[in-house]
Amino acid sequence: MSAVISTVKLHLNRRETTFLVPLYITGMVAVFSVLISLVFWRSGSQPGSAEWIQGSQSNPGIVYALLSFLVYLGVSSVATTFPFALTLGATRRSFTVGTLLWAAITSAYVAAILAVLSVAERATDHWFVGFYVFDVHVLGAGDIGRLVTIVFLGVLTALTVGGVFASAWVRFGARGPQLIAAGVVIVLAAALIVLVPAAAGIAEAFQLWWLAVAALVAIALSSTGTWLLLRPAVVR
Amino acid sequence: MTNAIDMQAVNRRFGDAIALDAVDVTVPEGSICGLLGRNGAGKATMMSIIAGQDRPSSGRVEVLGQEPFENESVLAMLSFVRDNQRYPDDYRLHHVLRIAPDFAPHWSDEVAAELVDGFRVPARTPIKKFSRGQLSSVAIVLGLASRAPVTLLDEPYLGLDVTARALFHDMLLRDYAAHPRTIVLSTHLVQESEALFDRVVILDGGKVRVSSEADDVRDLAFTLSGAADVVQGLIARSTVLSTHTVAGLMSATVWGAVDDEARTRARDLGARIAPASLHELVAAIGEHDPAPADPAHDEQKGVRA
Repeated sequence: MSAVISTVKLHLNRRETTFLVPLYITGMVAVFSVLISLVFWRSGSQPGSAEWIQGSQSNPGIVYALLSFLVYLGVSSVATTFPFALTLGATRRSFTVGTLLWAAITSAYVAAILAVLSVAERATDHWFVGFYVFDVHVLGAGDIGRLVTIVFLGVLTALTVGGVFASAWVRFGARGPQLIAAGVVIVLAAALIVLVPAAAGIAEAFQLWWLAVAALVAIALSSTGTWLLLRPAVVR
Repeated sequence: MTNAIDMQAVNRRFGDAIALDAVDVTVPEGSICGLLGRNGAGKATMMSIIAGQDRPSSGRVEVLGQEPFENESVLAMLSFVRDNQRYPDDYRLHHVLRIAPDFAPHWSDEVAAELVDGFRVPARTPIKKFSRGQLSSVAIVLGLASRAPVTLLDEPYLGLDVTARALFHDMLLRDYAAHPRTIVLSTHLVQESEALFDRVVILDGGKVRVSSEADDVRDLAFTLSGAADVVQGLIARSTVLSTHTVAGLMSATVWGAVDDEARTRARDLGARIAPASLHELVAAIGEHDPAPADPAHDEQKGVRA
């Protein structure tokens, strides 16, 4: 167990990357969102109008901006940290478990940050001028429970998926991630071929919790894959 | 004496390539073992297996009495930093010094501080921008400050200036005397390091050519030099590891101990005989291409050529 905790600390050792970079990115997205809102304002759109609110809440910028960084973070948590963890004396098992724990901590941290900012945004009536950055549809449109669930599972999915791609690279070199990507595309294409005739019915019956289940499946598959790939991996 | 490291019939293959071939090596607790041989001889693979970072294709490996692979209690007692060690993105020196004690129960902040100061390791530069010598310095800090009961040092001298190498020797011997442990050190700077060793393992082509007490190495081979025709006559029935000829003069490194008869013959013919130094032995074994029927393949007092 101690090596698992040491592995978590090894990841958290990159304090700026784990704790500050998500804040930097969030801040940048906020600035860009405000600038875009100003453009719309100057072009005649009125803050507080139904059209303004609908347009602003449809902005998924925060998700796109964080997603690429979080996948990179997941990749680097394995690609460059795994060889060093072995050098320090971690087992592959404790590294895999510790990395998953760290990913959960990071996910909870990002969820907490966005929840606080969302609450602040609503409490200040959207920063006193009607600007929407965090109170957006993709983050639950003000439903804090939904926001926390979406962000926690989304971040954890990004980190673990990044981790399994990096594990494939550690195990098989450049071919590893290519094989995983090809496999995922084939599975998705096969699912699409099977489900397309029933697409209308599926869309009508769609429930949000389906996405949560899909995220949990992706997290479980990625974590298991990471363990299976790292166990026989040779670091050279 | 208990063995800290015990490898029996260890093979390691990567596809068709044989990295280690029937390796039998024991390293007693509390000794400093030099692991020598040419590039590609199998030194890093052997260390990697000892450190539990790789598994043999067949054979048995025990470190401190247990198999090291995925063994948390053994890995906590081990230190192995590769010569091409990778560090997490954005790591600086303070990241390494902050996390290493969490994994190394015997970690010494004092040793780390003295080495960092002596090597002048940059504090603010990202490790990925370090020079070769600076990377070696960080590896030495990790290796020595961990005070791991089994410490594996992989080419620790790479890129180090003469002052840094002297500091490394001094610190290694001083801390080893105060806190005895088992050290395996691979290096190509044989002459500079041989005084450290009390045991020597020489690998070539994945095979163990020599596994011996350091004091016995001088009896393993000798050099014969003189007129080329004289030397050729004297070595005709010997196992010759290497020869060098310059302007009618020849020098040969010959496997085995020299007896009185051979010494007398050589002296009568004007040839000079001297024990092969460790450096000469390693170089000669690296040149030697053993034939299947080479008598030097036979085990002699735990020593194989």
